[in-house]
Amino acid sequence: MNNRFSLIAAVALVVLFTACSKTDNAPVVVPAYSSTQTLTVNFSTAKPFAFFGFKDSSLVVNTDSASAKWDFGLRFTNFVVNSNASGPGAAGVIMQDGVFASLTSAPTTGYAYDTTSTKLAIKDGSWYDYNPLSHAFVPKAGKVFFFRTADGTHYAKMQLLAVDYLPFTGPTPLQLAYKFQYVYQPSGGASF
Amino acid sequence: MISYAKIALSFVCHFTLLQHCFTKLWQSGHLFDEILHHRNQMKNTHYFFFCLFNLFFLQLSAQTRVFKDTLNGSSEEVVVTANRSERKMGNVAVPTSLINKSSISKTGSLQLQNILSEQTGIVIVNSALGTSLNGYPNPFGQGVQMLGLDPAYTAILLDGEPLVGRNAGILKLGRIATGNIKQVEIVKGPSSSLYGSEAMAGVINILTEMPIKETLGLQLHNASNNTWGGTINYSNKYNKTGVQLFLNRLSSNGYDLDPTVYGKTVDPSREWNGHLKITQEIGNKLQLLVSLRNYDARQDNNYQIFYQSLPAIVSGYTSEKDQSAFAQLKYLVSANSKIYFRGFYDKYSNESFVNLDKNGLRFDETSFVQSVLKPEVQFEKNRAGKSQYVAGFGANFEMIDASRYAGKQQLTTGYAFTQKEWYLMQQKLTLIAGARLDKRNDYALHLSPRIAVAYKPNSQWKFTASAGLGFKAPDFRHMYLNFNNAQIGYSLLGTSILWPELQKMQQQGLLQTGADISAYANSQELKPETSIGVHLGAKYTSNHLVVEWGIFRDDIKNLIDVYSLPFGRSNGLPIYSYQNINSVFTEGAEMDLKYRLTKHWSISGGYQFLLAKDKQVLQNIDQGLLYKRDPVTLQSSLVTRQDYFGLANRSKNTANFKILYEDNQNGWDTYFRAVYRGQFGFMDKNGNNIIDNPIEMTPGYWMLNVAASKSIGQAIRIQVGAENLLDYTNAIQLPNIPGRTFFININCNINQPTKHKSNRL
Repeated sequence: MNNRFSLIAAVALVVLFTACSKTDNAPVVVPAYSSTQTLTVNFSTAKPFAFFGFKDSSLVVNTDSASAKWDFGLRFTNFVVNSNASGPGAAGVIMQDGVFASLTSAPTTGYAYDTTSTKLAIKDGSWYDYNPLSHAFVPKAGKVFFFRTADGTHYAKMQLLAVDYLPFTGPTPLQLAYKFQYVYQPSGGASF
Repeated sequence: MISYAKIALSFVCHFTLLQHCFTKLWQSGHLFDEILHHRNQMKNTHYFFFCLFNLFFLQLSAQTRVFKDTLNGSSEEVVVTANRSERKMGNVAVPTSLINKSSISKTGSLQLQNILSEQTGIVIVNSALGTSLNGYPNPFGQGVQMLGLDPAYTAILLDGEPLVGRNAGILKLGRIATGNIKQVEIVKGPSSSLYGSEAMAGVINILTEMPIKETLGLQLHNASNNTWGGTINYSNKYNKTGVQLFLNRLSSNGYDLDPTVYGKTVDPSREWNGHLKITQEIGNKLQLLVSLRNYDARQDNNYQIFYQSLPAIVSGYTSEKDQSAFAQLKYLVSANSKIYFRGFYDKYSNESFVNLDKNGLRFDETSFVQSVLKPEVQFEKNRAGKSQYVAGFGANFEMIDASRYAGKQQLTTGYAFTQKEWYLMQQKLTLIAGARLDKRNDYALHLSPRIAVAYKPNSQWKFTASAGLGFKAPDFRHMYLNFNNAQIGYSLLGTSILWPELQKMQQQGLLQTGADISAYANSQELKPETSIGVHLGAKYTSNHLVVEWGIFRDDIKNLIDVYSLPFGRSNGLPIYSYQNINSVFTEGAEMDLKYRLTKHWSISGGYQFLLAKDKQVLQNIDQGLLYKRDPVTLQSSLVTRQDYFGLANRSKNTANFKILYEDNQNGWDTYFRAVYRGQFGFMDKNGNNIIDNPIEMTPGYWMLNVAASKSIGQAIRIQVGAENLLDYTNAIQLPNIPGRTFFININCNINQPTKHKSNRL
């Protein structure tokens, strides 16, 4: 926790610094903000989504679903982004094949939205492999998600690292742990 | 020593030359590109070849020693499967191997799959559909993998007729008792030109005993896990009538590999097997054969499930029945031509249920009935020393009625085949050309040709080459399976019922809202899977040495595989169906050796190197489209060709090694076998659906089996043995392998000398 706060503080400082230095017209490199997080997601399409906001690097409580605090949400294997049919924000997403570290700039156009609740930007099944016999649930390697965040002015890139079932008793799991890594560019620029 | 080295060198040169020629021949197939590509894996192969060559020269240098005995696989033994008519092994142009009764009885094994697994190039594998579920064995069982193809692609024949009742492509080999097997013939490579669909990888034909002069054989079998077996074999001939009766009962308590999971890994079972054969000669020209078979098995079901979200125990049993009837009339038209009229009927049923222990309510039940009726006429003409001709026609009337299928379904296939074999150049050269036409009611005419050539420059060497087209028509499950997994909630639907079922599901609100099913209105019909197979072989036979080399390549198109629809069920779980997607190839090299060291000792060994890969995967790798995730850093990177191991469930290296000791004067024999299955892909774990990381592999393992027997007097033979001496188990990935087991067989043969009649290996 401490780390996170110091990071946020650092980012805030950087942002402040950037704001000041703008007047100097000197090109200043804004360090992108990177982190690895785990999101606990319900293993049921009947249960609420788990939302995440890149800017604050935090899980957003479900009661804030009607806000622009979150950028994407997960529930079971449903993947939503905060705009149009899914939320009040202006978020968009592009799923692209590649090596996360090598993709250093986000596209500035071409972001997809959740047009309706069944026509989602990220199609179910497009980003994971599920083995119905072993129940192994593995995110596909080399899938990088580029986001335009809910405020419509920032970019982030994200990749899923692992999906694990949380320990359960009973016939079906109750929760999934989605481990993911992302880089958020607080400057509003598209490079990371 | 010098001459030995010289010969060895010249042979290595020959082999290199041969390799060079093959490379030229195979440029389109890239066989040796691939093999050279895997030089590291080949090191073992080279070493193996080297050892075998050494042995070979050992025998050349010891030519003064002469043994009268013939070896198993000698050119004089008669086989029927390769050409659908009798041929001496030495004259067969397609790769054929033979397991005779003597070697089966020396293993003491009552499991056909164990006997087959000791053959070079045959691997007993789990269903490709995955392995155990919650610590219970794969419900689809184990089958034969030949030339790297799944069990669904090998035809299993009993006395030349195909058994039905495959579950997910696998025919349970336990249905076939071993006590009355006369010989097992294995033909590798596309054999659709004679046997049609299912014979794409090859054919395993289990031939049972024919009536002989009065004999009575009894066997009592006892093994670990409270396994008991009793067998009666009776055979007699009265004038022109022959009778052969076989009865067998086998029961076992099963075993438990993981005591932490409720229930046994394999539940207790008992099975009955009966087989009656009657032959009747009618005049000089007519021979009638009637064969009736009955298999009846029952296995307990006892496991833990979740009922209303609470653990509960269910129990019940599965009963299996397999009944077949076969009648054949053989009419000798003239001294060198004959005609067969055959009728075969086989019905397999499997009924399974479990009840909740606490309230006796039915928790689950399934039923499955499949049958085939197969009339056939076959004609043979033999022009001694010049040519042999075989042709025939027939039909398959297949029926399936199962709880997991959409109602009762029927398929009818008509077929005709023809094959001619010419003997040229003072019979040194054999040429075979044949083809078969299959017409199934729902498919266009399908042609499967095959050509083969054998060249025998002298009595010791034989060189063979064969090529054929194989095919496998989509089977019942691909078309009519209608399976909704009650516990998990996904659906698997056959292509023929996909559209009506989707409509029904949508009406019932079982589909994801907004799902667009219109694209499935004209359901894409599945195409038959087709293959092109080529095999090149060489065989050396002498009195005490038989060595065989072979290389093969199979290219398979339109492989049918499961895919998930772009929309799911309303519960969010996927809907699967089948489509033709993959193009794969399998290729490899194999070698087999049998060598009699002394009068009492023989050794044999075999090795297969196999590559089996998906062409689309290779293309994706080359185009930089396929990624892998590092299991430690979890970061993705591109997959390279070196990373890609190949199709799951295939071992690059498999080998066997056997030592036989026989002392006929004193009635002793001991037979030791070691079977190695190299590491193979189990399941993707790094996010790319292919096998490309060691964590996705099952490590290689050895099965060591030994049996020893002693004859006492004229009638009694006592045999003791152990299987899986190393006690290898793998509860999760290979639950069908019990640990170490011991057995004892007490045999009593009356009116037949128990002394080993042959000295075959």
